Amino acid sequence: MREMATSFRDRAGHALRDGFLQEALTIATTKFKELRREAFEDFPEGEALRDRAREIKEATLQRLDHHLERLVESVERVGGHAHYATTSEEARRIILDIARRTGARMAVKSKSMATEEIHLNEALAEAGVTPVETDLGEYIIQLAHERPSHIIAPAIHKTKGQVAELFARELRRQVAADPEALTRIARDELREKFLRADLGITGANFAVAETGTVVLVTNEGNGRMVTSLPRVHVAVMGLEKVVPSLTDLMVFLAILAKSATGQKLSVYTTLIQGPRRAGELEGPEEFHLVLLDNGRIGQLAGPLRESLYCLRCGACLNVCPVYRQIGGHAYGHTYPGPIGILLTAMQHGIGSVKDLAHASSLCGACADACPVRIDIPKMLIELRREIDERRIAPWPERLVFALFARVVGSHVLYRLAVPIARLLQRPLVRRGTIRRLPLGFGAWTRTRDLPPVASRTFRERWRELERE
Amino acid sequence: MSPPLRAALMVTCLGDMFYPEVGVKIVRLLRRLGVAVEFPSGQTCCGLPLFNSGYHREAAAIARRTVALFRDSEHVVVPSGSCAWMVKHEYPGLVGEPGARREAEALARRTHELSQFLVNVLGRTRFRSETPGRITYHDSCHLLRGLHEASAPRTLLGHLEGAEFVELPGSDECCGFGGSFAVRLPEVSTAVLDKKLANAEASGAGCLVACDAGCLMQIRGGLARRGSRLRALHLAEILGGDV
Amino acid sequence: MTTRAEFFARIRTEMRKTSGLFAARAAERPRDASRLVETVRRELAERWPQTIERFRVEFERVGGVFHRVTHVAAVPGLVAAIARERSLRTVVAWHPTALGTDLGGPLAREGLDVRAMPWGPVEDAERQGFRTIVANADLGLTGADLAVAETGSIVLRSGPGRPRSTSLLPACHVAVFDRTRLVESLAQVGVFLEAWHEGPSAFGANVSIITGPSRTADIELTLTRGVHGPKEVHAVFVDEEIGG
Repeated sequence: MREMATSFRDRAGHALRDGFLQEALTIATTKFKELRREAFEDFPEGEALRDRAREIKEATLQRLDHHLERLVESVERVGGHAHYATTSEEARRIILDIARRTGARMAVKSKSMATEEIHLNEALAEAGVTPVETDLGEYIIQLAHERPSHIIAPAIHKTKGQVAELFARELRRQVAADPEALTRIARDELREKFLRADLGITGANFAVAETGTVVLVTNEGNGRMVTSLPRVHVAVMGLEKVVPSLTDLMVFLAILAKSATGQKLSVYTTLIQGPRRAGELEGPEEFHLVLLDNGRIGQLAGPLRESLYCLRCGACLNVCPVYRQIGGHAYGHTYPGPIGILLTAMQHGIGSVKDLAHASSLCGACADACPVRIDIPKMLIELRREIDERRIAPWPERLVFALFARVVGSHVLYRLAVPIARLLQRPLVRRGTIRRLPLGFGAWTRTRDLPPVASRTFRERWRELERE
Repeated sequence: MSPPLRAALMVTCLGDMFYPEVGVKIVRLLRRLGVAVEFPSGQTCCGLPLFNSGYHREAAAIARRTVALFRDSEHVVVPSGSCAWMVKHEYPGLVGEPGARREAEALARRTHELSQFLVNVLGRTRFRSETPGRITYHDSCHLLRGLHEASAPRTLLGHLEGAEFVELPGSDECCGFGGSFAVRLPEVSTAVLDKKLANAEASGAGCLVACDAGCLMQIRGGLARRGSRLRALHLAEILGGDV
Repeated sequence: MTTRAEFFARIRTEMRKTSGLFAARAAERPRDASRLVETVRRELAERWPQTIERFRVEFERVGGVFHRVTHVAAVPGLVAAIARERSLRTVVAWHPTALGTDLGGPLAREGLDVRAMPWGPVEDAERQGFRTIVANADLGLTGADLAVAETGSIVLRSGPGRPRSTSLLPACHVAVFDRTRLVESLAQVGVFLEAWHEGPSAFGANVSIITGPSRTADIELTLTRGVHGPKEVHAVFVDEEIGG
């Protein structure tokens, strides 16, 4: 990936200087944030449902083997097939095998972060199966050869002008930079693909163990098309998406769309139970469910277990002061934003987040917004702890903190530090403030003044204060 | 007549070194309200910077030290929401063996951020404002989301005689300080700060109040660099005589 | 390639290392969902006037167009009016058995070109033909298995005579239903879903909960309708019970 050659800080800086992106991010995240707030304001049962949803996720993990086995039995009972992928690579191979065996030449895809996670599209293309993204946002970024920048609105970083240019260049269709007109073009182009495709690939928002039902939550209708028109349907699913029963499912449906976009429900909530039945005019002949591990199993007993509750709603992105400033691409991995840092660590190990773990002011807005109340800041601190314990943090930093720990660990050293600081700062203080720190310390003072250490600290004034 | 309430001031490392006048104001304010103020010497830092950056062994040592220092205090008053949060929320789990944990839990129960102490413990809500005119308030993250405290500061600011309180748009949004975050990702920290300052300027207030030294350092630093006329004050600096 | 046994062995190994984060229980399922459905129906039977009004409000809020007629006999005229207003001519409809009434003749008399979906099994060769017909149709006419007041949603089960594409491919979707289909809440939908999965079923593999017309806001957050699915969804509520 092009992005990985640069550092996170560079990519963040690049994003900050991109005027279009800054405006798009502000508008989109503010809108989503507002919509979510209004939806829950109008919804007194919402808080109790969030607690229930969190509890169901935890309860499911506590009997995960049981529920997944039940899911597999149910899927097989209704005529589907289950597959087990420990790695991304395995998941790709399973899907390519199915494509090859069924003679697929073109696959239509409904939006699936799981398929982004395993980098499926490149593999399909290389194997001679043309992947066609059908979610409008995903379609746009596919044409642009980019990756999604937001979990639920993949193309929010693009202006309508940019989309019009893209369509003109890639589709050779001239059209005004008008969302209605652009959407109509996408509808035409993709309708033909839906009707012709051999293979439909989706993710799964939920999979109900009791009945083998895969649930898709979409707005455009492509989820229904992809799972009804092609001969074969493959659903790729993170194994934590399983829920025990249809009754459990309703708890999540009650809060998912509200958290993501403020809607009571998305336009299409599609419940798919295996391939088509006898007497059905439409529906796939074959249904495959690919259960994806890719680091999830390893966290069942790990510090990131709670991130397995994630519903992929994107609410945390919309409130994160960091995400709102830099957008999704700067994170450099499939999943951006607060939850994205945890998922990246889960999938790629602690080394992959040695910078990202600090891409947070620990403000806690994410935990507040999360429908299942995932304590993201707590786990970010855990990642930082691991980075420190494994000595992955750079040694100058470790030195500074070690020094700090020593100084505040001893009142003698602390008392000594104050006059030393006053001495060192003397050449830097002008008119009661410090405007420039020398050498590499300018990180603060480049944009902000710094107060000097007081001529008399509180502790130094206490003696007389005590006597007042 | 019952003996006066005793409160120990945990002035915090930032408060001690950079904003001693805030500590002084708190001492005088509490004494005016009939509180006997103590200052356990030897206090340094609550350990939050170490904790947030993942240096938990070191943070635990500081936590144990702090618990010992404040063992005999009847109440502990902290002018920063983040430090109060550290003591109340993280100390019990951090200090280690069960005996220390019980002590930390006891300390957590007796520890209050300043606005919480004034409103919830002392029951005092009406003060004269040290600054006339329009004032607004920034919710610091640890006080708002860590200690679930949005109302105590607003009660105090809303009742200030001689000042008019207006809500800050985006008051619950981070100021961009985040401790070491401010120097690890200074460009992002500054962009976030810019949003906060734009909201503050747009509110029409002459004065922005906060209950955290970290937030104040970030906000004042930005205001000074921009040459803004907006003032950023700690809560203690705006509370005058009680009414 | 990972076998099922290996996959589950790894899961169990990790699960053994922890008892989890807190005491937690999954939702309590209804013990006899079919019986509970009857209870829900009985309770709702009395409240249906309020329920349909709530449905109308929510349905319109999500961009649906609501119509109400007293008798089934008025439905063809209404559908024809909807079609005429939009210059639509070709209609595909659920099979009469699925709809609960035969509207084919009356619709044809209104000047519409109507094709009912087949009931019985279909040869592969014919399957493609039907797909073309539906893809070219202007209007899709269905019933509704449930109409949910809380969210303004229509629930459709697939199956013989009621293929998925009828409510998906044509740009205009019209759903006709009566009071027996009304439910108030998502929780009640859950009860129905549980009941539908109890025991063998003559229905298909798909249940769609449809809440308004197809939409997207992927381009600059500007809302547009009719992305892939229908641009318009109409609900026709009939006061009398359909199929009497």
